[in-house]
Formats: sequence, C-alpha cells, structure tokens
Amino acid sequence: MTHEITGTAGSRPRRAGPAEFVRRFRQWEASGILIALIVLVVALSLAAPNFLSQYNLSVVARQASFVGLVALGQTLVLLMGGIDLSVGAAAGLSAIVGSLLLTALGIHPYLALPLTMLFGLALGCINGFFVAKLRLNPFIVTLASWEVFAGLTLVITKGAPIRPLGEDFRVFGQGSLFGVPVPVLIFLSAGLILAYVLARTRFGRNIYAVGGNREAASLVGIRVWRIEFLVFGLAGMFAALAGMLYASRMDAGQPSVGEGWLMGAITAAILGGTSLRGGQGSIVGTILGALLMAVLANGIVLLNVSGYWERVIIGLVVLIAILVDLWRRR
Amino acid sequence: MSRRFDAVVALDQVSLGIGASEVHAIIGENGAGKSTLMNIFCGKLQPSGGELCRDGRPLVLRTPLDAQLAGIAIAPQEVNLVPALTVAENILLGAQPQGRLGMIDWGRTRAQAAACLAKLDDTIDPDLPVERLSKAQQQLVQIARAVATKARILIFDEPTAALTDREAQRLFRFIRSFRDGGGSVFYTSHRLDEILALADRISVLRDGRLVAELEPRRTSKDEMVQHMAGRPVEIGPGKGHDLQDRPVVLEVQGLTRPHEFEDIGFALHEGEILGIAGLVGSGRTELGKCIFGVTSAKAGSIRLFGQPFSASHPADAIARGLVYLPEERKQEGIFPLLSIAENMAMPAMDRFRRLLGLRFNEMVGEVETYVRKVGIKIGEPGDVITTLSGGNQQKVILARWLMKHSKVLILDEPTRGIDVKAKFEIQSFLRGLARQGLSIIYISSELQEVLDVADRILVMHEGRAKGIRPAGEATQESLLALAMS
Repeated sequence: MTHEITGTAGSRPRRAGPAEFVRRFRQWEASGILIALIVLVVALSLAAPNFLSQYNLSVVARQASFVGLVALGQTLVLLMGGIDLSVGAAAGLSAIVGSLLLTALGIHPYLALPLTMLFGLALGCINGFFVAKLRLNPFIVTLASWEVFAGLTLVITKGAPIRPLGEDFRVFGQGSLFGVPVPVLIFLSAGLILAYVLARTRFGRNIYAVGGNREAASLVGIRVWRIEFLVFGLAGMFAALAGMLYASRMDAGQPSVGEGWLMGAITAAILGGTSLRGGQGSIVGTILGALLMAVLANGIVLLNVSGYWERVIIGLVVLIAILVDLWRRR
Repeated sequence: MSRRFDAVVALDQVSLGIGASEVHAIIGENGAGKSTLMNIFCGKLQPSGGELCRDGRPLVLRTPLDAQLAGIAIAPQEVNLVPALTVAENILLGAQPQGRLGMIDWGRTRAQAAACLAKLDDTIDPDLPVERLSKAQQQLVQIARAVATKARILIFDEPTAALTDREAQRLFRFIRSFRDGGGSVFYTSHRLDEILALADRISVLRDGRLVAELEPRRTSKDEMVQHMAGRPVEIGPGKGHDLQDRPVVLEVQGLTRPHEFEDIGFALHEGEILGIAGLVGSGRTELGKCIFGVTSAKAGSIRLFGQPFSASHPADAIARGLVYLPEERKQEGIFPLLSIAENMAMPAMDRFRRLLGLRFNEMVGEVETYVRKVGIKIGEPGDVITTLSGGNQQKVILARWLMKHSKVLILDEPTRGIDVKAKFEIQSFLRGLARQGLSIIYISSELQEVLDVADRILVMHEGRAKGIRPAGEATQESLLALAMS
C-alpha cells in the first residue's frame, strides 16, 4: 500500500512508530475516503441492523463492482492527465456485441468474455489513436466516440434487449464463490493487479510520469504516445468487462447497459483522491470510492429515505471530499 | 532608480532621462537589466528605490493602466495577442470605440485600427484573425497596438527580432516620424547597427548598472561591445588540453531547420566541453533538441561515435548514449509529483526490472550512490523532488543522465536560476566528468560562464554558427563581436 503513495515510490522503511504511521496515512491520497467509508459503515450498522447481513453486504459489493471496474480504467486515464467520456457507452456497445457472440454465433461463454474484452480494447484504442497519435483533446475525442458507441448500440439492437444469454453465462454475474459474488471477485482481483502494475512496473510508473509532466516524460525517453494509446485501450477493455458482467447479471444484453456509469466512474476516482490534472491518485482509492458510493446508495434504501435523494447526497459527498483534500494538502 | 528581485539586484542606481523628440537606445547583454527597466517604465514592476519623474514632477505607475493613462505604451518583445480575434480587434482591444447602448462600433474600430496599421505595414488585412498571420506580422500588430494608444512615450523591446529587413526599415521610418512629431522612444535591441542608425542617445547597462552613455555619432560597434562586456576577465589555466589527438564523438554537418538554425557544423571530441554561446533566439536550444531527436532536421547529417545518427525520438538518442538536459527545469525537467529517487532513475528504470516488477530497493541504493557522487543535499530518496532547492533539483536531473551511463551530454543552460555556490559546484563537477572522458555541449547565454567552463566555444547568432574559438584565446568582447559580425 505504501507504494500507492505516488510521491514516495522508492522510500525505504523508516522506523515504524505511531507518529510515522500518522504522517504516512495523512500523505496518502485515499486516507480521507477510507475514514469516510469506515464512519459510514459504522453509522449504518448502528442505524440499520440488517446492513451487516451477508446478503446485504454482497448486494452492496456487487453494486460497487460494475461501476468500480469502469472506474479502474478511468483512473488510469485520469492519472495520465486525460479523461474518457466514452466508457459507459463502450460498456453498453461491448455488452451488446458480447450478447450477439453468445446468442447469434453461439460462442462459448468462456471464450465470448475475453473476445468481448478484446472488442472493448479495440474501442478504447480508437480513442487512443486520436488522442495519442493525432494529439487531439481527449475530452472532445471521447465526447464524440461516446455518441458513436451509444448510437451504434441502438442501431444494432433497435432498442430491444437481447435475451436470454444462456445458463452457462450467468455464472459471471450471478454466481458466487465462498459466498462472495463473482463480479466482486473479478473487480477486486483486477484492482489488485492494476495497483501492482501501477506501483511496480515500468508501464505503471510511466503513466505517473506522463501525467505529472508530459514534456519531461518525452525528454527522458518515454514514448508518450504508446502509453496514451494503451491506457485508453485498457479503459475500453475494463468497460467491456463491466458491461459483460452486468449483462450476465441481467441475463440480457440491454441497450441501456452503461448508462450513468461514466459519472459514477469519474466520481469514484475523484473520491479516491485521483487528480483531474493527472499524475496523482491510486487504484486503492478508486476501489474505496466505488464502495463508498454503493454503501451510500444502500444506506438510503435501508433508512427509507426517498431514492430521489441519492444524487443530491453523492454530490454533497464529492464536495466534502474536495474540501478534505484541500485541508490535507495544507 | 533601483530594483531588487529577492537576493538578486536587477537594477542598481540607474538614472536616465529622455526628452521630447528623442530616440534613446538602451543596450546590454541578457540579464543586464534592460527588461526590468522597461517593465518599470510601463508600470509592470515597481522600483524598490528611486523614482520616476516627468516634467520635474514625480510619476507613480502602480499598474500598466497607470502608465497608459500617463501616455506611456510598450511594444513587448513577446507577442501577446488573442489568436482567434481579428487584427483590428487586437489593436484596439479594451479601447474599441462604442456606439449607442455600449455596443462596439465595428466600422470605427476597423477604421482606427487600419489607420494605425498603415503607418507600419500595408500588407496586413485588418479583418484576418491574428492566428493566420506570420510571426513578423504578429509582431507588427503588437507594435500597432502600442501606437493605437496615442502614447507620447513609446517603448520598443527588441521590435525587430522577428522582422525582415524590409519590415524593419518601415518600422524605423515610423519611429523617426514619431520622434519628429515630438514623441519620445525607448529602444532596445541586440542589433547594434540599427541602434547606431536610429538612436539619438545610447545608454549601456551591465549587471544592472548604467556603465556608459554614448553619442551615436561619436561611437562604434566595438566601443559599444566593450562597454556591454566590461573588462576582459582572466581565463583560468588547465583547459584547452590537446583535443586534436582525441577521437571525435559527435560530428554535426550542415544541420538545418528552417526558421530555427541553418547550416550548423561542429565536431565534439572525447573529453571536451564545447560551449555554445548565443542569445535567446539564436537557435541554440533548438539545435540541442534537434540533435536529441525532439525535432527532425531538414538537412544535414550527424555522426555519433563514427556511425551515422538520426534520432526520431529522444529514446533513440538516449539508447545511443547521447542525452539532453533541458533549459526549463520546471516545464521540461522534473516530475514534480514524484520522488527524488524516481526522478533520477526514470531513464535507467529498465535496469531494475525483474520478472515480478521493479526492484525499488536496488534502485534507491544506486540513487544514493549518485546523490553522494554529485553532492546533492537531500532528506530521503523517497521525498518528493519539489522539497529540494533549485540547485539540488538540477543536480538530480544531471545525475539522471550519469546514472544512465550517458557518453555525450547536451546541457542547456544548466545553471539557470540557481545560486552561485551550486553553480560553481556543477561547473567544477562537469570539468571532472570531462576529464573522465565524457563529452559535453554546454549551452549558455552567459558568456562568462561559457568562458569559464568550456574548452572551445561555438558562437551562434540568429540561427547561424558564427565561428568556433578556443576558450583560452577568447574574451567576452571577442565573442560578442563575433556574434554581431
């Protein structure tokens, strides 16, 4: 976890004392979100006894997984100083293409899932090409591809869901292992792998370098465009994975898959301490951010608050998170 | 009048005046204090001592607007226009004539702007957006904007840097007619010929002091250069060892990039420090970046260690042992959010790659070796780099290339903005590196620095190589004279 602290990769362990621990904790971008999550979980378990039931917790965690997977990819893009507005639409289009692979072509689910992820990778690489090679603004490029992807979904489906997707496919969204839902397992393992890649590989450190100072990155010999290209590709791949898991959960390729995931993904990353200016942030923070949003939504239901309040509350939480971050930097 | 920037005195007790119908030229090397003086005149900076007077009464200019109201306008060296707006709008920006209801009167705006522009040039269409103009035309629009304020005192800061001869002649005609109409002009330029042709009085600044006031009719370029450079300084011994016996590591021939530099050729020997002296805009930085593979040359060839060499990306150059330390440390050098260790190890990171990812402990160990070697003062290798002083940050970036085991270093203003002690340390460290066989290109606009550290000096001016001199035989004056020749 210490290497998640972006500024201090390369630190040697100092004498571990409580003061040192507090200092480190405060430096860590995700410290605020972790405290907020703990406070919220404690408060909810006191206010709503059934919050801690295994059933409820697995619902919350599964809820967090779909947007969370999209947010993982988005975090990479944000770390690099970009933004990808097309992730939700890419998830939707991929889910539809994946559903067609399963139904129209009858491809086995264990093959259809990776194939669909490759399709998502390709969608992301289209964004990557325009941003990395043609040096176009990522906001504008992905705004356009968002429309194109979402439109293609409607063209293919004519608005009607593709179902059923078959017994064998349901395991990805509905199955569980040792009581933990499969999407949660996938989300957490993807998160762990990414956290490791970011902290411990050349590729990961290059992402921080490009996001922190693009000019300097190029001048130390990093081929910046390759990094950008690949990161946008990965964002598309994670979106496709999330879309397929969701389709499996619903046992249907619905044209509406991925709607609302874009803002959820960006919010999770920002709550987790990822800077929109690039170069700063962590995967652990994003995972916590996604969990916090799912817990909030769940709490609203459990406490019988009108569901209409959910977005108001999330908006306020984001504002509070920014203020906490401001305080942390002082 | 004086002005201090933190610990650096930019201007020291400078007194000068200007009369009506006078062109007063102010000359000096980079860093002599010309720009500071101009900025005080136009209200951008406040003097920390002394005062401005006009007709015997004190004149206080707190903001550029004060200066404008007092009838002083500046045509700055850097073009500072709104690219998407038209020429006419840019010229009258903030002062567009208004009609009823506060709406801009476009007809009058266009007419007034066109009238100002016509004094300088008649090829520019006032309705074109500024971004469609050439650099020179934009410079003229910038000047027209100063003219449009109807100021009685105009300040020109290097107005001809981007202009062609024909455009410059037209500008001089305007300046003379403005002067003959009773106006006053402050004029700075590195082109001494135009100073001699244009000025009624010449003031020479050096290190923030006024060192001479010259009469254009009774002075010469040589005298001006002598005053700008000051007394010739003593050259330390121990340099200029016999380079002829040493192998050439980098050979550049006829290297050209239009509008940046032209037909540059030189040979860099093993263990040599080759200084490149030149002012801002001489093409020295562009040359360095081109060799490093940031940009590509239009013509010419490079040989590195005897092999043909052409980098299409800095990564190619780095792989062959040729590296570049950028001029702008903040924008192009450091990764402000990353640790000292990572900042230093970034290009050499692959060396610590193992099957299961990077070995940070090994990396930090090697970083600490270089921290000691280069003499960098740090807390922990894991601290963020911005916790260091500028001088120490610069040493980290220098150590970055040593850790990569580079053979040829192109250093662009390696001592810019760092204190004297760190500067000295870096310079003597570089001499040590050269003794060990590294070859260094040392780019600087400070002549004394190049004289101190280099074996030979290549003088560049306006994109051209003016000649190479052994440092032992050169003086500030001879280099300046070479640049202006």
